[in-house]
Amino acid sequence: MDGPRLADALEALRASVASVRLDLAVSDAEAARRSRSELVGQVDDYLLPRLRQLDAPMLVAVGGSTGAGKSTLVNTLVGAEVTKAGWLRPTTRAPVLVCHPDDVGWFETDRILPGLSRTTGPEAVNSLRLVPHPSVPPGLALLDPPDIDSVVAENRDLAGQLLAAADLWIFVTTAARYADAVPWDLLHTAAQRSTALAVVLNRVPPEGVGEISDHLRSMLAEERLGDAALFAVPEVELTAERIPDAAIAPLRTWLDGLAADAGARDAVIRTTLTGALSSLHDRVTGLADHLDDQVRTAAELRGTALERYRTALTGVDDGVRSGTVLRGEVLARWQEFVGTGQFTRNLEARIGQLRDRITSFFTGRAPAAEAVGHAVESNLHALVRAASDQAAEQTTELWRSRPAGRALVTDDLHRSSAEFGPRLELQIRAWQERVLDLVREEGGHRRSVARLTSFGVNGAGLVLMLAVFAQTAGLSGLEVVVAGGTSAVSQKVLEAIFGDAAVRTLAARARDDLLETVEGLLVDERQRFDVLVDAVAPTAERVTALRTALAEFESALGSYLRQPGLVR
Amino acid sequence: MTLLARATDESGLSKRLTALDRVVELGADRLDPAALATAGALSGKAAERLRLGAEHTVVALAGTTGSGKSSLFNALVGVDVATTGLRRPVTSTAQAAVWNPDGAAPLLDWLGVKRRHHLGDEGADELSGLVLLDLPDVDSVKVDHRLEVDRLVKLVDLLVWVVDPQKYADSALHDRYLQPLRTHADITVVAFNQIDRVPSARREEVLTDLRGLLEREGLGGVPVLPVSARTSDGLPALRTRLADAVTAHEASVRRLNADLRALADELGPTCGPSATPAVERADRAAVVGALTEASGADAVALAVARTHRSRTRAATGWPMTRWLARVRPSAATRLGLPGARLSPGEAEDELVRTALPGPSAVQQARVDTALRNLVDRTTAGLPQPWPSVLTRAATGRREQLPDLLDRAVAGADLGLGRRPRWWGVVRLLQNVLALVAVVGAVWLLGLFLLDWFRLPEPPLPDVDVWEWRIPVPTGMLLGGVLVGLVLGFLSARLGALGARRQANRARRRIRARVEQVAADAVLEPVSAELSARTELCAAISQLRGRR
Repeated sequence: MDGPRLADALEALRASVASVRLDLAVSDAEAARRSRSELVGQVDDYLLPRLRQLDAPMLVAVGGSTGAGKSTLVNTLVGAEVTKAGWLRPTTRAPVLVCHPDDVGWFETDRILPGLSRTTGPEAVNSLRLVPHPSVPPGLALLDPPDIDSVVAENRDLAGQLLAAADLWIFVTTAARYADAVPWDLLHTAAQRSTALAVVLNRVPPEGVGEISDHLRSMLAEERLGDAALFAVPEVELTAERIPDAAIAPLRTWLDGLAADAGARDAVIRTTLTGALSSLHDRVTGLADHLDDQVRTAAELRGTALERYRTALTGVDDGVRSGTVLRGEVLARWQEFVGTGQFTRNLEARIGQLRDRITSFFTGRAPAAEAVGHAVESNLHALVRAASDQAAEQTTELWRSRPAGRALVTDDLHRSSAEFGPRLELQIRAWQERVLDLVREEGGHRRSVARLTSFGVNGAGLVLMLAVFAQTAGLSGLEVVVAGGTSAVSQKVLEAIFGDAAVRTLAARARDDLLETVEGLLVDERQRFDVLVDAVAPTAERVTALRTALAEFESALGSYLRQPGLVR
Repeated sequence: MTLLARATDESGLSKRLTALDRVVELGADRLDPAALATAGALSGKAAERLRLGAEHTVVALAGTTGSGKSSLFNALVGVDVATTGLRRPVTSTAQAAVWNPDGAAPLLDWLGVKRRHHLGDEGADELSGLVLLDLPDVDSVKVDHRLEVDRLVKLVDLLVWVVDPQKYADSALHDRYLQPLRTHADITVVAFNQIDRVPSARREEVLTDLRGLLEREGLGGVPVLPVSARTSDGLPALRTRLADAVTAHEASVRRLNADLRALADELGPTCGPSATPAVERADRAAVVGALTEASGADAVALAVARTHRSRTRAATGWPMTRWLARVRPSAATRLGLPGARLSPGEAEDELVRTALPGPSAVQQARVDTALRNLVDRTTAGLPQPWPSVLTRAATGRREQLPDLLDRAVAGADLGLGRRPRWWGVVRLLQNVLALVAVVGAVWLLGLFLLDWFRLPEPPLPDVDVWEWRIPVPTGMLLGGVLVGLVLGFLSARLGALGARRQANRARRRIRARVEQVAADAVLEPVSAELSARTELCAAISQLRGRR
């Protein structure tokens, strides 16, 4: 009927919940991770097996605080030493499951609690000790989990897992314990999930049975657990490590009644099951809301990096456009290249002569062209490198200012990556190559070929590179003074060769190419930040998928709950 | 007071509290705000507690609900002061019993404990001076109980944790209180109450289990006293323990010492390795180099050289053409360099801006990179917050750097006003030569006119130059012009030499001033942070003191 459909939907929901990344250190992330693992654990340990096999024996977990006498109670109920009781806290370190020998088959496989191995011998780590005993009625199994509140953290986790897997909780507390905060957190959860519950108030001083029971009952009622059966066991001398029969008679009667009445048992099982199934809505929604928070935070972190690196690119763009890359060394080398400042100053009107002069100069001493190229490179290098470093530094600092970012930041993140420098050099050289190609290509279908060859493609490319940096903003006072207008000359040289409009186009293309190259490099640098976020943060698609899976599960649950005869 | 002063002194507490004040002072803007707040609070608490004196020793009975804190309290007091009961939790606010209450009121006010029970004459025993607190529980559903305990646990001098056979291994007690307070083993006592409930054969086993648990938490030396409030078993031992603490009058000092140790543990990792990094010569040079470049020193040097050359020309060139050099404004004037328009001796004014365009994007980038390298190298191996702190120190005045650099250039003595003495000599010589040439020319013109008008020529003196015999006026004209041109050429060469020297000097002087800027704006702040770190870390390690 609808059982299999519900189980499939639940399985899909579980897969969706289990696979989503949830590791961004936003507030409450720890709680969300715990809630997620509890949820996945409960689906695996309890919900799926119980949905598929409603007729399996009822699992009764005798849970409670350390020292509350859980093990003694179980031993007394079974009438044999099946689990160790004692004075040392915590006593039970590995869970014990006691059932009728006929029922052992139900529990031997990993139908329920697949994460725990089965053992029949002594207690072992991460295992469930299986004890068949004929005094346990068939159709009912008693589980003695570890304590919920001792210093041993694994005990607490395991206890939570086992309680979530039980059909019925027998919650054991004592007169000294019943107001402890930890058990009440668990009881609160039980109330929310409408888990079937009985409470045993153990070790009550005989004179206080009435008073304490009343107090506890009123506390239970406050938590909307007023329906739970409450059994007070007065503090009595143990006989042979067992509670005298008279003291636990009411509890035993109640349990025997359940064991004898398959219908009542079924009702208990279904109450807990439907309660747990219905609780998934709030739990998964809460998780999804938290995931939204993580997605948002991740987007903000990525956005911070994006913004800083975009600013870096704008900085490089501005630096290139304002022509400042030309200054200093480049100008000096350029002067070497075209001749002395005195000479070039006279050249403005006599471009042809300059070309002749350069040609002779150039053919004589080719390395001069290389020297200029080198200066451009190191200036560009400095500009881009500083921009990239600044972006990395600022992004790191901004990330550090929030917990989610602080957890991600690694030591070497506040500078450009190690391979950035070499890559940058390589890319700039490649760009210079492309500029030369550009000149060659442009020169190919122009009548200036002859003139171009006389000037040398290298020299022309160089002039174009300089023009890229100098064209838009022109020259500042400094350059005019220092270089005597050589940059202006260089542009004129170029214009004489290619024509004014062509130079503008060429320069624009070369500059766009350069910015694209730099952008590519900066994007790779930014990736270092994105990768960190991606590794821990959920994606919006996964959250949507989770919500879809939840909706699918809820519609399946709706039709499952409407089945006739389910709720008696 | 004297008792306290002696105990304070003997344990080195006063020295360590001075160190704490240094930590608070130096840690501002450097340490993590939460840790700094802890340190500040501790400093305030220590001052307050010491002011209140060691006449009284504050002992708190703390623990889980139902462990019998109040019963134990009553048993120690000897009167049923505290309410005990079956319903849990019973005690909701702390109450105090004071043995010999003279002068204890300010202490209790400071503790914020309102319910007080004074033991007058009946308290005149070995516990005289004891302030015993009965605290609420640490583990019940009532959260405000925990908050009250958290508050008082920070203030009391001696902590007696009351546990019982059921709850001695509870996470609420161990993970929230005992484990975090492992640094306070000195002032911690565990009273294992309700020991009468454990069969006497099992008692030792249970006590050993608890001792092992405490040892694993780092509380190995803590005494575990089995007691029973109901049967009074073990009470004398507990009483003796309390009496020892009260008569020694040093529990409060030990408490503060433990607090300081805990703080030192918390702050220790922020210091990192003990080696003190320093600003290396190479880093200093790199920063100064980048700043010098950004100041435009090269451009200025070039302008200075050019100006010198053109001034040399203007002063020593051939008189017929040297006015040309004066028509154009000098490079130095166009850059608005200091001294460009001054006569020698006038003071430079660094508040006058130059016309230099300021650092270019590339120069700024180089400066930024140099600053980053400086920070990276001085903070190599240091944990946060030091890289951030030093980055702030190095770049704090980054925005002001262009202006500071401009001032450095504006205030530099570039030697532009200086006029070499040889200029005057050459100028005089040039003038004389020009005069000679003019006289020769006029003479020749006279001769020409005489010839034109067919007048008799006066006798013409000759000079012998090697083999040639040259008439004096011709010699004067040609010689004056020729020697003047040669002299002009030579002095231009000399001027170029001088220009180079002057350019170098200008560059050196700008660099010297830029070094000052680098020191003021970058290196000093960085060094200051580094020495602040050294001092802070020394203070933090002093907190620990001798154990």
